Formats: sequence, structure tokens, C-alpha cells
Amino acid sequence: MTNAPPEKGGPASRGAGHVSEHVLSAYVGASVDEVVAWSVEAHVTACPACRLALSAHVDPDHLARNRSVLFVRAATGEHHPARRLLGHVGVPDQLVTLMAATPSLRRSWLLSVVGVIAVVSGESVLVHHLSSSSLAVGRPDWGALAPFILVAPLTVLAGVAAAFLPALDPTHQLAAAAPFSGLGLLLVRTLSALVAALVPVVAAAFVIPGPAWLPVALLLPCFALCFLALAAVTVIGPMPAALLAGAMWVLPVALLSVWHSVTAVVQWPAQASWAAALLAALVVLAMRRDRFELGWRP
Amino acid sequence: MGGEVAAVRVEGLSRRYGAVRALDDVSVDLRRGVTGLLGPNGAGKTTLMTVLATVNEPDTGRVSVFGLDPANGAERVEIRRRLGYLPQELSFHRHFSVAGFLDYVAILKEIVDRRRRAEEVARVLSAVGLENLAGRRVRSLSGGMRQRLGVAQALLGGPDLLVLDEPTAGLDPEQRLRFRELLSDLPGGPVVLLSTHQVDDISAICPRVLVLLGGRVRFAGSPAELAATADGHVWTADERDPRALLSWRAGDSRWRHLGQHPPEGAEVVLPTAEEGYLLLSHAVDQPATAAPRWRPARRRTR
Repeated sequence: MTNAPPEKGGPASRGAGHVSEHVLSAYVGASVDEVVAWSVEAHVTACPACRLALSAHVDPDHLARNRSVLFVRAATGEHHPARRLLGHVGVPDQLVTLMAATPSLRRSWLLSVVGVIAVVSGESVLVHHLSSSSLAVGRPDWGALAPFILVAPLTVLAGVAAAFLPALDPTHQLAAAAPFSGLGLLLVRTLSALVAALVPVVAAAFVIPGPAWLPVALLLPCFALCFLALAAVTVIGPMPAALLAGAMWVLPVALLSVWHSVTAVVQWPAQASWAAALLAALVVLAMRRDRFELGWRP
Repeated sequence: MGGEVAAVRVEGLSRRYGAVRALDDVSVDLRRGVTGLLGPNGAGKTTLMTVLATVNEPDTGRVSVFGLDPANGAERVEIRRRLGYLPQELSFHRHFSVAGFLDYVAILKEIVDRRRRAEEVARVLSAVGLENLAGRRVRSLSGGMRQRLGVAQALLGGPDLLVLDEPTAGLDPEQRLRFRELLSDLPGGPVVLLSTHQVDDISAICPRVLVLLGGRVRFAGSPAELAATADGHVWTADERDPRALLSWRAGDSRWRHLGQHPPEGAEVVLPTAEEGYLLLSHAVDQPATAAPRWRPARRRTR
């Protein structure tokens, strides 16, 4: 059947040239082939009488359910540009939703991180510029990097801590009682937060005046601090764990700043220590992963 | 109901928070259908519910949910797949839309397929009467609407065990009626444990009720049996009786009294389940020989 030839057997009120009742019924029941379905759709789009006849065949409950599902799909923001972009680069839809519930992946948080990194980077550039104009050219002095080296990994750690601190997750009780919870959920959140915070840190490390290896050298300490914090959560609880990991960075950086060798904290001998710390943290996490399974105790 | 196998079994459960004993050797069986949990604040209701929801570990005792042991990691995950949980104080990601929040919880419940998730979210929204608010921000919802949203997330996935901690708090009378209807019509006949301070909710929808006082189960039976515990302990009079444990003026302007010993010749009336519960809680609070005195009824006003 098409919309062109008159259809015998149609209702008297619509007459010839319209879609017959039995075709409409079959169309609603999804028992017509694609060509017939397209013909029906093309015809009813232009024909008020057949639209009316079609509506009589539709189950209103079914229609209401479909309408609700469409509203839900619209409300979950599946057509949001950022979500579609992430979908195009292969990030699964459900992962995007989980990331949307991570405080440190909110736009306001990321803007704060960018702001903090911009301030300490600007400070480093300024100090370097002033000191290089007043000092003779000679051995490079990276003392100007101290604020950046101190703060940058802490912003990454803060982002990760925000992803696992129950105080910042209003639904942590629900999450704890769900089948997808514990270490799995935590890793999704923390790794997303880690990557999101590392982007501005590494980008700034390329821009500020410093050794060429600095952007790469920052990666291992950042990973180590974050996983040390996660491992410590299984022993001393979330907030003390975040503070402990922060202290493990602040103390050596502060001491090395006093001795004017702040970059030593990310240079070769220290890198070996960070690698060892990361390895130890991963071992502790693997051994004590059950500690994440019962949720945070009330 | 007597020969029916318990779907959820709790044996000798105890849980302490420092010096406070929240649960003290609690043993209960839950069968399919709605079981009401009554008790004053601090009686241990929430602790019992968090243990059943697998987010709290008891100090001692055993729990079995559909034959699964929550102490075992793999079995705990399996329990969670069959669980719907409404915590007492549920907070939300306020920037989420109503549907977005439910979509998030559905993912935590391992409903991965996007279309199935949307259908499930639409189903539970319709069940709690929020279908027209799918796109609204959670932060713009009223307290009652948020409570319904909390119930909706618990219903996601059609759970076999529903643990609802004060689900009717903040609901207006019409919403409470809709909630009762919703619980009565749940498909599959799940095990429902419902904690509330509204004894009339329990009387209306729960064939079985537990009363938890001071961390111990003091009563387990039907609402009618709970009411029967106050048989002969409720009387009415034109004047307030100072010997009663509790007294209040009823709708007919007469004083209704609840006490251990009605005066001679008193007009003894049939008690309600609420009066049975109140008498029980006072019997635990104080010895029977204590001097009678008037005390305000422990009802939460809303």
C-alpha cells in the first residue's frame, strides 16, 4: 500500500486514497515491512483524516510509556554536546554519567584547578623573569619553580581526594549499597579525576620556565601520591589518608626549597622513591581492596 | 505464614557504637510481604536496616538474605543486585535532573543498556507520580518530592528486598496513601522492611510488625496482635486521670487514657496498634510499679 493509489475497504468517512484500517492496525502492531511503514508515515504526515484514524489504533498507555521514556532520555542529557563529544572519542555512556557525579570533575572544580595552576605558574614566570634580569647568566636556578612544584601535585591529589571523600559524595550510602561500588567505582572516579587534573598541571609545566623534563617528571609523583592516599584510606580512613599523602609531598618540597634544590624532589633518585611508593600503594590496594566493599562505616 | 521459609534471617545480631549498644542480640525472620519496624529514635532501627542493606557490619551475629551471606564478598554483591535501599537521610547530587539522578543510580545497579535504563527510570518515576518532573533539577524539588524520588531510586531494577528507612517522612496524607498503594502493588512480592514512626501506615499495609526498643526486639506479630497487647489498658473518661501513663483528649472531647491499671469501673475501650506500641515502649522505659504520671505521647508531629 502507498499513499498514492486509492485503497479499497477504507472507512467510508475517509473514502478512497487513504490508508485502510487493517494496514493502520498492522502498522501500529509493527507487523508491516519497512516500505509499507514509510508509505504509511508519508501519507499520515499529510493527511489529517488518516492521522485521526491512526490515533484510534494506538494504545494510550503504550503511548504514555513511550512519551515518558523520551522525556527521561531528554532529561538525562544524552544529547549534551560534551556527552556526545566524549561518546565520539569512545567513552562509554554510563562512564560519563558516573563522572558527572564526581565532584572534582564538575566545571566549577576544574576551573578552580586551572585558576590555581595559572596563579602559581604566573608567579613562577614572574620570579624567574625578575631573578634572571638581576643575576648574571650562569647555572640555571629553578628556585622560582618552588610554588608551582609545591602546589601542582597537591591540586591533583585534592581532585582525587574529592572523588573518594564520602563527605563530598551526597549519595555515598546509596553507592555503598549498590552492586557496582567499592574499589571499582572508586577507581573509575579517582582515575577520571586524576587525568582531568593532570591536564592543566602538565600543560602549565610545558609553559613555565623550567627544565624540559619537568612535565614528565611530575607524572610519577602525582600518581604515587594519589595511590598512596587510596591505599592509606584502607587503614586510616579517607580524610586522614588525604592529609597524610599531602604531607608526604609538602614536607620534602619545603625542605628542598630551603636548600635551594626544589627540583630534586622530581629528579632521578627521588623518582625511584616515588616509583617504589606507587608500587607499595598498589600492593596494599590489591591486598586490602575488600576494605572498600562494605562502604564507609557510619 | 507459619510454614513459610524466611527470605531474610537475622540471628543474634549485636552492634555497638562506642559505649552505646545499638543492637543487642537481635533475631528476626522476614518473609515476603511488608514488615513494619517500629521504635523510638535511638532504638536501633537504622542500624538494623544498614546491616540488612549490607553497608554496616555487625559485631556479632549472622545474617542470611535469600540464603546468601553478606560477610562473603561475592554473595554480598549478589545481595546488592537484589536490593533496593532508601537510607534515612538521603542526599542528592543537586545539579542532577530527576531523571539524571535515577539514571546514575541505575548505573550503580548495573543496568548498563541505555534504553533499558530509560525505560526503568520512566517506570519508577511513574510509580511515584513524578513522571512530569523528569527534567527538573533535584535542588528545585520540595521535601516530599525528594522523598518520593528516594523511593523511586529504591524501586529501580525491581528489587527482591526493599529496605526503606522512614519512607513516609515528609509525605502529605495523599502521598502517603499513594505510597501504601504502591507498596501493596509491588510486582513479584518482594520482602519489604519498612521503618516509620507512623503507626497507622504500619497498620494499613503491614501484615507483620516488629517493635525494637533499646536495641532488642520486644514484639513480633501482626498489627492486631500489637493492639491486643494493650487490651484492658485503654479507657476513656470525662476527666483526665492522673494515674494514666498517657492521656489525651480524643475527637469526642473525652479523655482517652493508656495505663497499666485502669481504675475500677472505668470505661475500657478497644486499643489501637499505636496504643499497643506506646504501652510496650513505656513498659520498657519504666517498671510497672513506677508512680503514674502524665507524659506527652511520643508521636512525631509533621
